[in-house]
Amino acid sequence: MAEMENDVSPIETEQREYVEDGKNKLVVQCKFCGSKILDKKSSNYIAQEKDLPLMQQASNNDREVQNETIKEFYHVENMYTFENIGFTHTVDNHKYLSCADCDAGPVGYHDTNTRHSYVAISRIVHSK
Amino acid sequence: MAKTYDCLFKLLLIGDSGVGKTSILFRFSEDAFNISFISTIGIDFKIRTIDLDGKKVKLQIWDTAGQERFRTITTAYYRGSMGIMLVYDVTNEKSFENIKNWIRNIEENASADVEKMILGNKCDLDSQRQVSKERGEQLAIEYQIKFVETSAKDSLNVEYAFYTLARDIKAKMEKKQKEASNPSGGRSGVHKPTLNDARKPVTWLSRCSVL
Ligand SMILES: [Zn+2]
Repeated sequence: MAEMENDVSPIETEQREYVEDGKNKLVVQCKFCGSKILDKKSSNYIAQEKDLPLMQQASNNDREVQNETIKEFYHVENMYTFENIGFTHTVDNHKYLSCADCDAGPVGYHDTNTRHSYVAISRIVHSK
Repeated sequence: MAKTYDCLFKLLLIGDSGVGKTSILFRFSEDAFNISFISTIGIDFKIRTIDLDGKKVKLQIWDTAGQERFRTITTAYYRGSMGIMLVYDVTNEKSFENIKNWIRNIEENASADVEKMILGNKCDLDSQRQVSKERGEQLAIEYQIKFVETSAKDSLNVEYAFYTLARDIKAKMEKKQKEASNPSGGRSGVHKPTLNDARKPVTWLSRCSVL
Protein backbone atom coordinates (compact mmCIF):
# COMPACT_ATOMS: atom_id res chain seq x y z
CA MET A 1 0.00 0.00 0.00
CA ALA A 2 2.69 2.42 0.98
CA GLU A 3 4.25 1.88 -2.38
CA MET A 4 1.02 2.85 -4.10
CA GLU A 5 0.72 6.06 -2.13
CA ASN A 6 4.23 7.09 -2.93
CA ASP A 7 3.79 6.38 -6.59
CA VAL A 8 5.70 9.44 -7.68
CA SER A 9 8.88 8.86 -9.62
CA PRO A 10 11.88 11.15 -9.10
CA ILE A 11 11.33 12.50 -12.60
CA GLU A 12 7.78 13.58 -11.73
CA THR A 13 8.90 15.23 -8.51
CA GLU A 14 11.51 17.20 -10.39
CA GLN A 15 9.07 18.10 -13.12
CA ARG A 16 6.90 19.99 -10.65
CA GLU A 17 9.76 22.36 -10.10
CA TYR A 18 10.12 23.40 -13.70
CA VAL A 19 6.90 22.48 -15.50
CA GLU A 20 3.64 24.36 -15.02
CA ASP A 21 0.51 23.82 -17.13
CA GLY A 22 2.62 21.68 -19.44
CA LYS A 23 5.03 24.52 -20.16
CA ASN A 24 8.50 25.46 -18.99
CA LYS A 25 7.90 27.45 -15.82
CA LEU A 26 11.40 28.95 -15.85
CA VAL A 27 13.85 30.53 -18.27
CA VAL A 28 15.97 27.97 -20.14
CA GLN A 29 19.70 28.69 -20.29
CA CYS A 30 22.94 27.16 -21.53
CA LYS A 31 24.65 25.05 -18.86
CA PHE A 32 28.04 26.43 -19.71
CA CYS A 33 27.70 30.13 -20.37
CA GLY A 34 24.17 31.02 -19.22
CA SER A 35 23.04 32.23 -22.64
CA LYS A 36 19.25 32.55 -22.71
CA ILE A 37 17.75 29.86 -24.94
CA LEU A 38 14.01 30.04 -24.18
CA ASP A 39 11.86 32.51 -22.35
CA LYS A 40 9.62 31.13 -19.61
CA LYS A 41 6.32 29.52 -20.71
CA SER A 42 7.37 29.47 -24.35
CA SER A 43 7.58 25.70 -24.93
CA ASN A 44 5.72 22.50 -24.06
CA TYR A 45 7.05 19.71 -21.90
CA ILE A 46 7.18 16.38 -23.72
CA ALA A 47 8.31 12.95 -22.55
CA GLN A 48 9.80 10.95 -25.42
CA GLU A 49 12.89 8.83 -25.89
CA LYS A 50 15.43 10.04 -28.37
CA ASP A 51 19.12 9.38 -28.88
CA LEU A 52 21.32 12.44 -29.04
CA PRO A 53 25.06 12.55 -29.70
CA LEU A 54 27.15 13.31 -26.60
CA MET A 55 28.30 16.91 -26.27
CA GLN A 56 31.91 15.74 -26.08
CA GLN A 57 32.99 12.92 -28.36
CA ALA A 58 36.16 11.09 -27.36
CA SER A 59 38.72 11.80 -30.06
CA ASN A 60 40.28 8.34 -29.91
CA ASN A 61 37.03 6.85 -31.13
CA ASP A 62 37.14 7.01 -34.91
CA ARG A 63 33.98 8.00 -36.66
CA GLU A 64 31.50 6.20 -34.44
CA VAL A 65 29.20 8.80 -32.87
CA GLN A 66 28.57 8.19 -29.18
CA ASN A 67 24.95 8.71 -28.20
CA GLU A 68 22.89 8.86 -25.05
CA THR A 69 19.13 8.44 -24.68
CA ILE A 70 17.27 11.55 -23.56
CA LYS A 71 13.78 11.17 -22.13
CA GLU A 72 12.52 14.70 -21.50
CA PHE A 73 12.32 17.61 -23.91
CA TYR A 74 10.84 21.03 -24.42
CA HIS A 75 8.90 21.11 -27.67
CA VAL A 76 9.20 24.31 -29.71
CA GLU A 77 6.92 24.54 -32.75
CA ASN A 78 8.22 27.77 -34.26
CA MET A 79 11.98 28.27 -34.40
CA TYR A 80 11.60 32.01 -33.89
CA THR A 81 10.36 31.26 -30.39
CA PHE A 82 14.00 30.73 -29.43
CA GLU A 83 15.80 33.63 -27.81
CA ASN A 84 19.29 32.52 -28.84
CA ILE A 85 20.16 29.24 -30.55
CA GLY A 86 22.34 27.75 -33.28
CA PHE A 87 21.20 25.28 -35.97
CA THR A 88 23.73 22.92 -37.52
CA HIS A 89 23.72 21.78 -41.11
CA THR A 90 21.23 19.01 -41.83
CA VAL A 91 22.08 15.36 -41.16
CA ASP A 92 19.37 12.78 -42.00
CA ASN A 93 16.40 15.15 -41.65
CA HIS A 94 17.81 16.61 -38.45
CA LYS A 95 19.53 19.77 -37.51
CA TYR A 96 21.14 19.83 -34.10
CA LEU A 97 20.69 22.74 -31.71
CA SER A 98 23.64 24.47 -30.08
CA CYS A 99 24.20 27.39 -27.76
CA ALA A 100 24.36 30.61 -29.79
CA ASP A 101 27.04 32.06 -27.53
CA CYS A 102 29.48 29.26 -26.67
CA ASP A 103 28.41 26.70 -29.33
CA ALA A 104 28.01 23.89 -26.80
CA GLY A 105 25.72 21.16 -28.02
CA PRO A 106 23.71 19.32 -29.11
CA VAL A 107 21.26 20.83 -26.64
CA GLY A 108 18.49 19.35 -28.75
CA TYR A 109 17.42 18.75 -32.32
CA HIS A 110 15.23 20.13 -35.09
CA ASP A 111 13.14 17.92 -37.36
CA THR A 112 13.37 19.33 -40.89
CA ASN A 113 10.15 17.55 -41.94
CA THR A 114 7.87 18.93 -39.25
CA ARG A 115 10.09 21.99 -38.61
CA HIS A 116 9.60 21.47 -34.89
CA SER A 117 12.47 21.69 -32.41
CA TYR A 118 13.14 19.78 -29.21
CA VAL A 119 15.39 20.94 -26.35
CA ALA A 120 16.89 18.21 -24.14
CA ILE A 121 16.03 19.15 -20.56
CA SER A 122 19.02 17.30 -19.12
CA ARG A 123 21.35 19.47 -21.21
CA ILE A 124 20.16 22.90 -20.10
CA VAL A 125 19.66 24.73 -16.80
CA HIS A 126 16.64 26.63 -15.51
CA SER A 127 16.68 30.07 -13.97
CA LYS A 128 14.25 32.76 -12.86
CA MET B 1 0.17 31.38 -30.36
CA ALA B 2 0.77 35.09 -30.04
CA LYS B 3 3.85 36.46 -31.72
CA THR B 4 6.42 37.17 -29.07
CA TYR B 5 8.62 39.53 -31.05
CA ASP B 6 8.27 42.71 -33.07
CA CYS B 7 10.62 42.13 -36.00
CA LEU B 8 12.43 39.32 -37.74
CA PHE B 9 15.49 40.16 -39.84
CA LYS B 10 17.33 37.65 -42.02
CA LEU B 11 21.03 38.49 -42.30
CA LEU B 12 23.79 36.97 -44.44
CA LEU B 13 27.55 36.78 -44.01
CA ILE B 14 29.26 37.03 -47.38
CA GLY B 15 32.87 37.18 -48.54
CA ASP B 16 35.76 35.10 -49.82
CA SER B 17 36.57 31.75 -48.32
CA GLY B 18 38.91 32.03 -45.33
CA VAL B 19 38.04 35.57 -44.27
CA GLY B 20 36.53 34.29 -41.03
CA LYS B 21 32.81 34.35 -41.76
CA THR B 22 32.35 31.14 -39.86
CA SER B 23 34.30 32.37 -36.84
CA ILE B 24 32.06 35.42 -36.68
CA LEU B 25 29.17 33.02 -36.23
CA PHE B 26 30.99 30.20 -34.50
CA ARG B 27 33.64 30.51 -31.81
CA PHE B 28 33.97 27.10 -30.24
CA SER B 29 37.50 26.01 -29.54
CA GLU B 30 38.10 22.39 -28.75
CA ASP B 31 40.76 20.80 -26.63
CA ALA B 32 43.06 18.00 -27.70
CA PHE B 33 41.10 15.24 -26.00
CA ASN B 34 37.58 15.90 -27.10
CA ILE B 35 35.93 16.68 -30.37
CA SER B 36 32.81 18.75 -30.42
CA PHE B 37 30.05 17.04 -32.37
CA ILE B 38 28.72 20.49 -33.32
CA SER B 39 31.97 21.74 -34.85
CA THR B 40 32.22 18.55 -36.90
CA ILE B 41 28.88 19.23 -38.58
CA GLY B 42 29.09 23.01 -38.66
CA ILE B 43 26.56 25.76 -38.03
CA ASP B 44 24.04 26.66 -40.73
CA PHE B 45 22.46 29.67 -39.01
CA LYS B 46 21.82 31.22 -35.65
CA ILE B 47 18.85 32.97 -34.13
CA ARG B 48 19.59 35.85 -31.81
CA THR B 49 17.21 38.11 -29.97
CA ILE B 50 18.20 41.71 -29.40
CA ASP B 51 16.50 44.77 -28.00
CA LEU B 52 16.41 47.76 -30.32
CA ASP B 53 14.85 50.85 -28.77
CA GLY B 54 12.37 48.77 -26.78
CA LYS B 55 11.49 46.47 -29.71
CA LYS B 56 12.23 42.77 -29.52
CA VAL B 57 14.09 41.96 -32.73
CA LYS B 58 14.95 38.44 -33.88
CA LEU B 59 18.00 38.08 -36.08
CA GLN B 60 18.41 34.97 -38.20
CA ILE B 61 22.06 35.00 -39.25
CA TRP B 62 23.24 32.73 -42.08
CA ASP B 63 26.79 31.69 -42.81
CA THR B 64 27.41 31.22 -46.54
CA ALA B 65 30.74 29.42 -46.06
CA GLY B 66 31.21 26.59 -48.55
CA GLN B 67 29.18 28.46 -51.16
CA GLU B 68 32.00 30.81 -52.19
CA ARG B 69 33.58 28.38 -54.59
CA PHE B 70 30.68 29.03 -56.93
CA ARG B 71 31.89 32.63 -56.85
CA THR B 72 28.32 33.67 -56.39
CA ILE B 73 25.89 32.93 -53.65
CA THR B 74 22.83 31.07 -54.80
CA THR B 75 19.65 33.09 -55.00
CA ALA B 76 18.10 30.87 -52.34
CA TYR B 77 20.38 32.47 -49.79
CA TYR B 78 19.51 35.96 -50.92
CA ARG B 79 15.77 35.34 -50.87
CA GLY B 80 14.22 37.35 -48.10
CA SER B 81 17.50 38.64 -46.73
CA MET B 82 17.33 42.16 -45.40
CA GLY B 83 20.92 42.70 -44.34
CA ILE B 84 24.30 41.56 -45.62
CA MET B 85 27.68 41.63 -43.88
CA LEU B 86 30.42 41.84 -46.50
CA VAL B 87 33.48 40.34 -44.88
CA TYR B 88 37.13 40.59 -45.95
CA ASP B 89 40.34 39.67 -44.18
CA VAL B 90 42.70 42.60 -43.45
CA THR B 91 45.66 40.23 -43.93
CA ASN B 92 44.47 39.20 -47.41
CA GLU B 93 44.58 41.84 -50.18
CA LYS B 94 42.65 39.67 -52.63
CA SER B 95 39.69 39.24 -50.28
CA PHE B 96 39.52 43.05 -50.03
CA GLU B 97 39.59 43.55 -53.79
CA ASN B 98 36.84 40.95 -54.14
CA ILE B 99 34.43 42.99 -52.02
CA LYS B 100 33.56 44.90 -55.19
CA ASN B 101 32.67 41.63 -56.92
CA TRP B 102 30.54 40.59 -54.00
CA ILE B 103 28.71 43.90 -54.11
CA ARG B 104 28.02 43.36 -57.80
CA ASN B 105 26.76 39.85 -57.02
CA ILE B 106 24.43 41.30 -54.38
CA GLU B 107 23.14 43.94 -56.78
CA GLU B 108 22.31 41.24 -59.30
CA ASN B 109 20.66 38.81 -56.93
CA ALA B 110 19.44 40.40 -53.73
CA SER B 111 16.58 42.75 -53.09
CA ALA B 112 17.49 46.29 -54.18
CA ASP B 113 16.94 47.76 -50.74
CA VAL B 114 19.02 45.26 -48.78
CA GLU B 115 21.14 46.96 -46.10
CA LYS B 116 24.87 46.31 -46.32
CA MET B 117 27.88 46.69 -44.05
CA ILE B 118 31.58 46.00 -44.69
CA LEU B 119 33.64 44.18 -42.08
CA GLY B 120 37.44 44.13 -42.15
CA ASN B 121 37.99 41.00 -40.08
CA LYS B 122 41.10 39.65 -38.29
CA CYS B 123 42.22 43.15 -37.23
CA ASP B 124 43.98 41.45 -34.28
CA LEU B 125 46.66 40.21 -36.73
CA ASP B 126 48.23 43.62 -37.14
CA SER B 127 51.72 42.38 -38.08
CA GLN B 128 50.32 40.54 -41.11
CA ARG B 129 48.06 43.34 -42.23
CA GLN B 130 47.88 44.01 -45.99
CA VAL B 131 44.86 46.32 -46.05
CA SER B 132 44.96 49.53 -44.02
CA LYS B 133 41.92 50.70 -42.12
CA GLU B 134 41.90 53.85 -44.28
CA ARG B 135 41.45 51.82 -47.46
CA GLY B 136 38.52 50.00 -45.88
CA GLU B 137 36.95 53.30 -44.93
CA GLN B 138 37.55 54.67 -48.42
CA LEU B 139 35.82 51.72 -50.06
CA ALA B 140 32.88 52.10 -47.69
CA ILE B 141 32.56 55.78 -48.59
CA GLU B 142 32.69 54.94 -52.28
CA TYR B 143 29.70 52.59 -51.93
CA GLN B 144 28.03 54.56 -49.13
CA ILE B 145 28.07 51.54 -46.85
CA LYS B 146 28.98 51.47 -43.16
CA PHE B 147 32.33 49.95 -42.21
CA VAL B 148 34.01 48.56 -39.13
CA GLU B 149 37.10 46.48 -38.44
CA THR B 150 36.40 43.35 -36.41
CA SER B 151 38.19 40.55 -34.67
CA ALA B 152 36.02 37.47 -34.34
CA LYS B 153 38.82 35.94 -32.28
CA ASP B 154 38.70 38.70 -29.67
CA SER B 155 34.95 39.33 -30.16
CA LEU B 156 35.86 42.90 -31.07
CA ASN B 157 33.08 44.93 -32.75
CA VAL B 158 31.16 41.83 -33.85
CA GLU B 159 28.15 42.53 -31.67
CA TYR B 160 28.37 46.21 -32.54
CA ALA B 161 28.25 45.36 -36.24
CA PHE B 162 25.09 43.26 -35.90
CA TYR B 163 23.35 45.92 -33.83
CA THR B 164 24.30 48.60 -36.35
CA LEU B 165 23.04 46.61 -39.32
CA ALA B 166 19.81 45.68 -37.51
CA ARG B 167 19.23 49.29 -36.45
CA ASP B 168 19.70 50.48 -40.05
CA ILE B 169 17.23 47.89 -41.35
CA LYS B 170 14.70 48.91 -38.74
CA ALA B 171 15.13 52.61 -39.53
CA LYS B 172 14.69 52.00 -43.26
CA MET B 173 11.62 49.90 -42.64
CA GLU B 174 10.00 52.48 -40.40
CA LYS B 175 10.69 55.17 -42.96
CA LYS B 176 9.02 53.07 -45.66
CA GLN B 177 6.01 52.36 -43.53
CA LYS B 178 5.64 56.03 -42.76
CA GLU B 179 5.81 56.84 -46.47
CA ALA B 180 3.28 54.13 -47.26
CA SER B 181 0.79 55.40 -44.71
CA ASN B 182 1.38 59.00 -45.70
CA PRO B 183 1.62 59.10 -49.49
CA SER B 184 1.40 62.89 -49.67
CA GLY B 185 5.17 63.04 -49.58
CA GLY B 186 5.25 64.84 -52.91
CA ARG B 187 6.97 62.08 -54.84
CA SER B 188 4.60 62.12 -57.78
CA GLY B 189 6.00 60.89 -61.04
CA VAL B 190 8.72 58.87 -59.41
CA HIS B 191 8.20 55.19 -59.95
CA LYS B 192 9.55 53.37 -56.98
CA PRO B 193 11.03 49.90 -57.33
CA THR B 194 8.61 48.62 -54.70
CA LEU B 195 6.08 48.15 -57.49
CA ASN B 196 8.16 45.31 -58.85
CA ASP B 197 8.66 43.86 -55.42
CA ALA B 198 4.93 43.49 -55.03
CA ARG B 199 5.07 40.42 -57.26
CA LYS B 200 7.15 38.57 -54.74
CA PRO B 201 4.99 36.42 -52.47
CA VAL B 202 6.09 37.90 -49.17
CA THR B 203 8.26 40.97 -48.93
CA TRP B 204 10.25 41.37 -45.77
CA LEU B 205 8.35 44.54 -45.07
CA SER B 206 5.14 42.67 -44.54
CA ARG B 207 6.76 40.30 -42.10
CA CYS B 208 7.68 42.96 -39.63
CA SER B 209 5.17 45.02 -37.80
CA VAL B 210 6.19 48.14 -35.98
CA LEU B 211 3.50 48.91 -33.49
ZN1 LIG C 1 26.59 28.55 -23.98
